Amino acid sequence: MLLKTKNLMKAFGGLKAIDKVDFELPAGEIRGIIGPNGSGKSTFFNLVSGVYDPDPGSYIEFDGHDITDEPPHKIGALGLSRTFQLLRLYQDMSVINNVMSGYHTRVKYKFFDAVIGRKKIWDQEKEIKDEMMELLSFVGLADYAELNASELSGGQRRLLVLARAIAMKPKLLMLDEPAAGLSPVNVDNLMKIIMQLKDKYGLTLIIIEHILKVVMDTCNTVTVLDHGQKIAEGTPSQVKDDNAVIEAYLGKKMNDEEMRKALAV
Amino acid sequence: MEKFKKIISQYPFLGFIIAYLILLCVPTIFFTDLYQSHLSSLIFVNIIVAAGLNIVKGYCGQVTVGHVGLYAVGSYTAGCMFMYLGSDLWMTLPAAIIVTGLFGIAFGIPSFRLEGPYLALATLGGGEAIRLFIENGEFFGSTYGISSISQPVIFGVPFDTPDKYYYISMPVMLIAVYFSYSILKSSIGRAFMSVREDPISAAASGIDIKKYKILAFILSAMFAGAAGAVYAHLPPGYIHPNNYTVIEMVTFLAMVVFGGLGHIWGGIIGAIIITIVYDLTRPLYEYQLFIFGLTIVLTILFMPKGIGGFIDKIFIDKRFKKKKVEEGK
Amino acid sequence: MKKLKIIFSTLVFTAGLALSSIAQANDIKIGVSFRMLSDVGYKHGELITDTVAMWNKEGGINGRKIDLILYNDECKSEKGVANATKLAYQDKVHVIIGSSCSSVTLPMVPVITKAKVPQIIPHSTSSKITMQGSEYIFRVPVSSRFYKLVQGKFTAEQQGKKIAYIYVPDQASMVFAKEMIQFMKDEYGVEPTYAVQAGEKETDFRSYLMKAKATNPDVIVLSGLVDETVRMLVQSYEVGIPKSVHRVANSVASKVEVPTNAGKAAVGVVYSAAFAASDTRPIAKKFVKKIKSTYGVTPGHDFSQMQDLLDMLKPALTKASAKFSGDLAADRLAVRDAIAGITNFTGLASGPISFCANGSPECRDGNKTPVMIKYSRGGKNWKTAVAGTVTFNPSDGL
Ligand SMILES: Nc1ncnc2c1ncn2[C@@H]1O[C@H](COP(=O)(O)OP(=O)(O)O)[C@@H](O)[C@H]1O
Ligand SMILES: [Mg+2]
Repeated sequence: MLLKTKNLMKAFGGLKAIDKVDFELPAGEIRGIIGPNGSGKSTFFNLVSGVYDPDPGSYIEFDGHDITDEPPHKIGALGLSRTFQLLRLYQDMSVINNVMSGYHTRVKYKFFDAVIGRKKIWDQEKEIKDEMMELLSFVGLADYAELNASELSGGQRRLLVLARAIAMKPKLLMLDEPAAGLSPVNVDNLMKIIMQLKDKYGLTLIIIEHILKVVMDTCNTVTVLDHGQKIAEGTPSQVKDDNAVIEAYLGKKMNDEEMRKALAV
Repeated sequence: MEKFKKIISQYPFLGFIIAYLILLCVPTIFFTDLYQSHLSSLIFVNIIVAAGLNIVKGYCGQVTVGHVGLYAVGSYTAGCMFMYLGSDLWMTLPAAIIVTGLFGIAFGIPSFRLEGPYLALATLGGGEAIRLFIENGEFFGSTYGISSISQPVIFGVPFDTPDKYYYISMPVMLIAVYFSYSILKSSIGRAFMSVREDPISAAASGIDIKKYKILAFILSAMFAGAAGAVYAHLPPGYIHPNNYTVIEMVTFLAMVVFGGLGHIWGGIIGAIIITIVYDLTRPLYEYQLFIFGLTIVLTILFMPKGIGGFIDKIFIDKRFKKKKVEEGK
Repeated sequence: MKKLKIIFSTLVFTAGLALSSIAQANDIKIGVSFRMLSDVGYKHGELITDTVAMWNKEGGINGRKIDLILYNDECKSEKGVANATKLAYQDKVHVIIGSSCSSVTLPMVPVITKAKVPQIIPHSTSSKITMQGSEYIFRVPVSSRFYKLVQGKFTAEQQGKKIAYIYVPDQASMVFAKEMIQFMKDEYGVEPTYAVQAGEKETDFRSYLMKAKATNPDVIVLSGLVDETVRMLVQSYEVGIPKSVHRVANSVASKVEVPTNAGKAAVGVVYSAAFAASDTRPIAKKFVKKIKSTYGVTPGHDFSQMQDLLDMLKPALTKASAKFSGDLAADRLAVRDAIAGITNFTGLASGPISFCANGSPECRDGNKTPVMIKYSRGGKNWKTAVAGTVTFNPSDGL
């Protein structure tokens, strides 16, 4: 298993945002996480990536390492990359610098070499820049490399955070609502790029997405959260037919017609 | 020209050698009196401080209003080493850099927990505490200051006049700027910026926030230390706590803001312009504070990224427009 | 093309600026550097400007116009050194006046000595300044080496030798008290009846005052900053130390806040200065009136010293400029020698001011006669009277 959580728990005051979630993800899979608003999806990401400390009794393992109490940067260095629902772009940095800072964990030269500015730094920097420019042109942002990230459009920003997360060549990439707010055409485009990147870099993916169609179309397995609990897990078609899921989404049983509409399959 | 640019980007050191050669000739060609050398040395000292301040404030985004205290630590390390051990600049400079770097750790630790105005207050307190400590410490010469700090002697030639000291302060400044350039252009500089922009996503990219915050404080402290030592030995070699007050701090900050916070040349441009403007307005002392206040306010209003950011924007806009025109065709 | 235009016009503009600042070769140039932006500092600047303007109106000195260049040093040595360097090498002045703060004048001395420009000090008192042996420095005020002794000498000879000391941790306040204690020991072999250093930022000194009172002193020394001095004076009456016990304060007693805020408690407090506004000599009365009407303040010794400086500089410049050759180095030497030739100048200062040729402190600390001043009335309409003068030998306190 690439990622494993056991008895994962997080409470904010009295609210159990994540409640005893056991989660297993084999390498190479594309996993979808769905659930109504406030069901704990983002919190799950924040726990796994170390942004939040899990409550005692929880256990998280990534790539064979116990990362339950590791700080975020260590988890990142192990090859776990993520995006944020609110993007968290580096607004006041150029597009290329945004991506290049995602490369951080792969930089080989030593600190002292950088201070005295040895030649190999500049050689490596050039290599890094070339590679990152390639990544940028892959997502279609090469022309904007020197611009400030704040000058990009909403869709371009989503591509940029994606590129930044990929820059570290992660083993596992976790995307928090990557397509939120995009027009259907752009959503298709983005998903296409994500799939290409997955193949190119051999990624394992977890995607949180509220557009169910996207999840149903692209994911191998889907995990459903509600009130912090895992209420269902299975292939998209299994999950689609799960009564608990339907109830969680709409609060009542539906006939086939209504359900098809809701899930927009 | 393109080729030249490419070579420089691969061997930035060459660029600094060229700058060195040019600056070596500047006094003989352009200077008409010793004061210009003296002013140049002051500019160089300010450049070193501002370049360091740009690392911690401009790049890493950590508010510090106590930097002038670190500059004082550098000066007084040099001053005391001279007074008690008779050391010359070659000894005091590295010592000042190390000692001030250690003080940088103390200034950086509050940044783990504090932000913005609170961190400003904490560092302000630190800087003032250092000055008061010096002012009340007989060991440091208290309010008498330390005088007659020696100038370096090279091959029997004492560099004890402003025109000669230029050749000491200038290379130190260039080396400092070179270090700041290579640090900021490397992954370290990018890590600083990410910490400034968004610590949470920086951490997600594997960047150790605490490490880079403290590193920024240490590095910038080392710059301040070097500047302090160069200033202490500047003829006539006199240091006094009055030169390390909040007013000096504001001036250093003004340099960085005016030159462009977070711009690789920001501190340097700012130090040059502010020092020269200050000098030109010397006879207008009644309006000097007003002129400075106005400059800062106007800069923040109309050039929020300072001169450096302004120039960059012109270039980038131009390039971008050109591209768009080409695409249009 | 546009760029060229901009560059060209900037060049023309700066060249114009440079030209306009080049004065006539015939002029006498005086450079000034001191703390200009404090309230009185600004008025000192006005006093110089007005005086020089008057000289020029009267036809200059030997027909030469006087150019005045004023810089502010904010009481910061970095600025003072830069000002001195600029005045010496770029503005090419004949003589420099400055500075207010000793910590600024001190490092200016090596600069002007190397540049061979005479400098004459209006305010700085630190004895170290003239002890560097520079032949280019002249001091109008009384040196701290005399001030250091004057209070002790005056107190011991005219007030009594049983002395209690209370001082605050401020540097100057501590030094004043400790040096006086030392002086009493060395000079008269007496120990203090009581001596204590108050705590940092303390405002209630009554417990110390009670203990001091218990030792039955003739004199009680209260050394603090303005605010603390006022409190100690007032509280000394609160704890019932009788009027007959002399109160001695350090030089902050000369600040107007002391009599204004301490009121009656300030009466009898003695401090030393180089000039008293209560001086009854006609020349002093006239001066006080002039400063009051022109600048709206009662002049202290910093004003009188500036006036004395200008009054003695004018004849020296007249003498020197008669021999001006146009060679700056030689002309500066001429000015230096003319100033060094000033002997027994009697102006506003409490004693005659004399210089001599070599660079020793004996030669260059011009005024050796501090005056003792006491408050004869406190409150808003405070009044002072001269309590006496003490004249020192040129080598005293070295
Ligand atoms: N930092 C926090 N402090 C307090 N409550 C939080 C915090 N983060 C999330 N929550 C709460 O936890 C619940 C789950 O939130 P979240 O994981 O963001 O949901 P989702 O991403 O599934 O919409 C919500 O009720 C939310 O208000
Ligand atoms: Mg969410």
